[in-house]
Amino acid sequence: MSVRELRKDPLNIIIAGVGGQGNVFMSFLIGKVVMKSGYSVTIFDNYGASQRLGAVASHIKISKEHFNTSPLLHGGDADIIVGIEPVELLRNLTRFGNPEVIAIMNTRPVYPIGVISGELDYPNLNTVIQAIRRLSAQSWIIHATDEALKLGNPIYTNVILLGALLGSNSLPLEREILEAVLKEELPKAFDMNVAALHKGWNLARGQ
Amino acid sequence: MIEQASKQLYDEVIKTGLCTLCGGCTGYCPYFAIHDGRIVRVHQCELGEGQCYQYCPRTYTDMEAVNQQLFGVSYGENEIGSFREIFLARTADQGIQEKAQDGGIVTTLLSIAMNEGMIDGAVETKMDDKKIPHGFIARNREELLECAGVSYEPSPVLEAINRLPKESTEKLGFVGLPCHVTCLRKMKLSPSTNRANIENVRLVIGLFCGWTLAHGFHQFMKEHFDLAKAIKFDIPHHPAHSFDVYSKSETQSVDLHEISPYINKACSYCIDMTAEFADISVGSGRAMFKGWNTVIVRTKAGAEILDIAKKYHIIETQSIPAESLTNLKRASLNKKKRAIRDIISMSGSRNDLLYLRLSQQLIDKLLA
Amino acid sequence: MANIEIDAPGATQLLLGNEAIARGALEAGIGFATAYPGTPSSEIMGTLAPIAKKMNIYAEWSINEKVAFEAASAASLANVRALSSMKANGVNLIVDFLVNLQMTGIGKGLVLVVCDDPGGMASSNEQDTRPVAKWLSIPLLEPSTAQECKDMTKWAFDLSEELGMVCMIRSAIYLSHTRGNVTLGELPHGSSTASFDDSYDIDNPKQSTYTCGMQFHPYKQSEELLKRFSKTPERFESSQFNFYEGPHTPPELMIISSGVCSTYAAEAVRILNLQDRVGMVKLGTTWPLPERFVTRYLQRSDKVLCIEEIAPFVEQSVMELAASFPPDHPRPTFYGKRSGHVRAWGQQDLDLVIQSISKVMGISYQNRQSSSPDYQSTVNEVAQIIPARPLTFCPGCPHRASFWAIKIALQLDGRNGFVTGDIGCTAMGMIAPGSHQVRTYYAMGGGVGVANGFGQLGRFGFSQPVIAVCGDSTFFHASIPGLINGVWNKSNFMLAVLDNSATAMTGFQPHPGTGMTATGEPGNKVNIEELCRSLGISVEICDPFDLTGTIDTLLRMLRDEEHAKVLILRHECDLVRARREKEKPYKVYVDPARCIGEECGCDRFCTRVFSCPGLVWDREAGKAMVDEAVCAGCGLCADVCPQRAIVKEAV
Repeated sequence: MSVRELRKDPLNIIIAGVGGQGNVFMSFLIGKVVMKSGYSVTIFDNYGASQRLGAVASHIKISKEHFNTSPLLHGGDADIIVGIEPVELLRNLTRFGNPEVIAIMNTRPVYPIGVISGELDYPNLNTVIQAIRRLSAQSWIIHATDEALKLGNPIYTNVILLGALLGSNSLPLEREILEAVLKEELPKAFDMNVAALHKGWNLARGQ
Repeated sequence: MIEQASKQLYDEVIKTGLCTLCGGCTGYCPYFAIHDGRIVRVHQCELGEGQCYQYCPRTYTDMEAVNQQLFGVSYGENEIGSFREIFLARTADQGIQEKAQDGGIVTTLLSIAMNEGMIDGAVETKMDDKKIPHGFIARNREELLECAGVSYEPSPVLEAINRLPKESTEKLGFVGLPCHVTCLRKMKLSPSTNRANIENVRLVIGLFCGWTLAHGFHQFMKEHFDLAKAIKFDIPHHPAHSFDVYSKSETQSVDLHEISPYINKACSYCIDMTAEFADISVGSGRAMFKGWNTVIVRTKAGAEILDIAKKYHIIETQSIPAESLTNLKRASLNKKKRAIRDIISMSGSRNDLLYLRLSQQLIDKLLA
Repeated sequence: MANIEIDAPGATQLLLGNEAIARGALEAGIGFATAYPGTPSSEIMGTLAPIAKKMNIYAEWSINEKVAFEAASAASLANVRALSSMKANGVNLIVDFLVNLQMTGIGKGLVLVVCDDPGGMASSNEQDTRPVAKWLSIPLLEPSTAQECKDMTKWAFDLSEELGMVCMIRSAIYLSHTRGNVTLGELPHGSSTASFDDSYDIDNPKQSTYTCGMQFHPYKQSEELLKRFSKTPERFESSQFNFYEGPHTPPELMIISSGVCSTYAAEAVRILNLQDRVGMVKLGTTWPLPERFVTRYLQRSDKVLCIEEIAPFVEQSVMELAASFPPDHPRPTFYGKRSGHVRAWGQQDLDLVIQSISKVMGISYQNRQSSSPDYQSTVNEVAQIIPARPLTFCPGCPHRASFWAIKIALQLDGRNGFVTGDIGCTAMGMIAPGSHQVRTYYAMGGGVGVANGFGQLGRFGFSQPVIAVCGDSTFFHASIPGLINGVWNKSNFMLAVLDNSATAMTGFQPHPGTGMTATGEPGNKVNIEELCRSLGISVEICDPFDLTGTIDTLLRMLRDEEHAKVLILRHECDLVRARREKEKPYKVYVDPARCIGEECGCDRFCTRVFSCPGLVWDREAGKAMVDEAVCAGCGLCADVCPQRAIVKEAV
């Protein structure tokens, strides 16, 4: 098994979403794969008191040289940001983005309570996409939730995004290791999850 | 833009003590509610324009315009309002007689209107087991009888109209006090498309009213009377000086002095004793004519019902003696004078009548 | 996810700090573990409990931290290694017991693990528990990484037995909830044998060692304590958890750091490219200070910067140490919270630490964003369109219904009644989703405690009805004594127990009312209403989803102005129900023909006032709509809509 080199050390990734979307599990999967590939990884899952629908962001730092890095990124230091939710992606881009950052976005919004009560505005999707393009060096727009629904369950959203991450070629993830980790962690739904992974990979490759 | 909605209603009418608890602003939306003899803001509405403000009989009310629209004459020309006929009457229906407050005319007229198919139901006040008044729609004779008899407490009867589903096509009669009637007329002047059609209300019967009893009166009654056994309340006319509670076996009384602290302060700002905007106004026959009602017929709709009642001898009538009519007019005029005085006391200026628009002529006359 | 029971020394796993602590306890051969749920400590017991039976350990969610720690101490006295874990506020509850435990000593290793919450992300406050260690002379360890979490926990048991004292490990949310590579150690074999060696001996009757006072004068026990404690600094001098990282030549600046802040400091130095100019002393044993070790580095630099969260705990200890130097001894200038170079409140993060170091070194740093003005201005522009995402009750939450009913009842009641609040999901009664009903909020059991006081103020003209609100877990944890006090002293208040059959906020741990225990074995269920009824007071139960019934009951019960009374608002937490049932209770949708939205009679009542995340205001259509992906199908909104435009169909 070849180990890909990190294009930067440490490599910093943020997975941003909303409570209940499987954000924490997704970052754990990435961490496990990366660790099995021989890297040191530190992951901090940033969630507040709300069980569901609060903002969540996981900071993942991957390093060959440095063990035990700080669990948090500092401003402007993300290399990759994956947004399971569009506005959360934007929120994290404004704090942690920089001209070289890579962004991967799921298009399905989850409206904050201030928006659904009519008090605040949720930016329309085109505006969000424009903003993401302006704030990143490369971006992928993935209809992960829509594709997950086609597969039968919105729960596949984050594995599709994982596939897109793989397909973007921006992380040292080996597909074989990723599939092995999926098998360990989700033995019952393995086939569906591999299908979701491939779907995401194809979607990313197609852009 | 001047906002005229729930916040202004609260500031101008409720906080100031003008609210008579008529129920015109409750029952349709969740923001105001009447509970325990009080009007309560349950939640906060943010609208700038609201029907609660528009319909309230204590927000801007152009008495002139309403009167012109109904009768084609200026408001205040007659102390007891415009009318076609005034006479004394009582029911010939024995079943109604037993339950009647005085002459049983209101229940009889509604019963006739129902039988003739002119109305499907009547919006009235009904007291619950604790004798607390609520708005209710009576749809048959038994239910009409259940509503017979007066409650002296403020009744949010208009809630029953506000609660009607939008699709309702029921033709309705209505019984209420002058403030209820005024609110109804304001509703008819600016009907809402969101609600049941206010034109469904075909017949408006107003009751004569001097004041209601509030400010903890219910607690007073609970302490002094066995309300569960009460079947009728009455304040008989001069020279009597009591508040009477009838049960099947006895009558209990307290002197009027004891209940005068409970006279609703909101009523001191009211200029309408005889429900001047109703189709028919009904009051007691006063001391001389116990067991009779004074009946004032004002509109064509009112006259139609009375004609049927007279024609089929469902009611007995007699002419009202001149002295009685004089007394009635004087009482009504005194109420207007007192009200204007109290309004100016609150507003601080002769030019500010708070919620009323009256002709200058009338104002001068009342202040003379 | 984590698999901490595997017997595979040398294997590497990706573990949370809390999971690593649990693994460290396993490697230390504990037999007994107790805890009460509290973010950010809950995962420690959450990881141990499911494997406890298999690993021959007794693991318990206790009713509160006090009983948890006392029980763990008993195990220690009976020669069984014991661990007790809790959040910072839990330590406040055990201090009385700790003070006395310190007087008498322990048996086998006893370790207290405390997880602080700098910044108060999931707490009512942000207290630093480390001063307790100084105050009570408890050896204190602060891990900085997931690996240290494991290694220090294991070591702490040996240390505890060497010193004959309880040892304290202090973690914090940014460590407890961080995952890192952890290389596993060996798991011991064999299990504990328990016996208490100081029971009454008829041949040699004497006062037991495990008691305080009386023949053992407290001041003598204090002396003994200090003797035990005095062996600690030497142990710490040689600890592998204290080390220096930096240039061999004396650096311009010496950072002293502990906990997760040391990882920020190390990374900040790299980012600022100051590896040749700045050194770092990383302390893992922070009370007592290993004085010789620290002094060695204090005298190498003119500038010392202490970085830690939250209190200037190490900073003050270091300055205390420096104050004891003789006059001719080199003395650095200290920077830290005292000097204003390190923020004295809230959590630290990498940005703040970079700032602190830059300030002391007189340099400026631009990150990858700030060094690009175009990017920065785009960021400023984009930031305007991003809506905030505040907390709310989950869709279907019974607390939404409870606070809704309470709001309406108190408004109708008209006497300016109010709610005194408590810890847990019910705390969200403070904010909009709970109609801002909660007006005071302090500690576990504080709601009913405070209500007791209000309920006695009638003699001073006080006539406002008071409702103390607590959850079911909180009821057991702390509210019972307050309720009994109200009964006994005749205070006038209502205790509303919002019983959703869960300790929800912290992750659905069981409690006496659920009948389940930590390990999944059924326990004996304790019935809240029977307990309350035994006090001879009025106790009623309502389903908060029956809004009319609940409001009527509240209005009726509040009319009693003389007694303590209990209203149980019982309805299962929707997340618990959803795990069990595939289907939602109702299909809920808005009939657009009936919805009048912004018009008079509604003014967006469901989305603006009732405010459930499942209800969305469609501005373009001017109607409310149900977001099926979010809606829990509870149907409460259907009862709330003034136009009956929301329809609920049983599924």
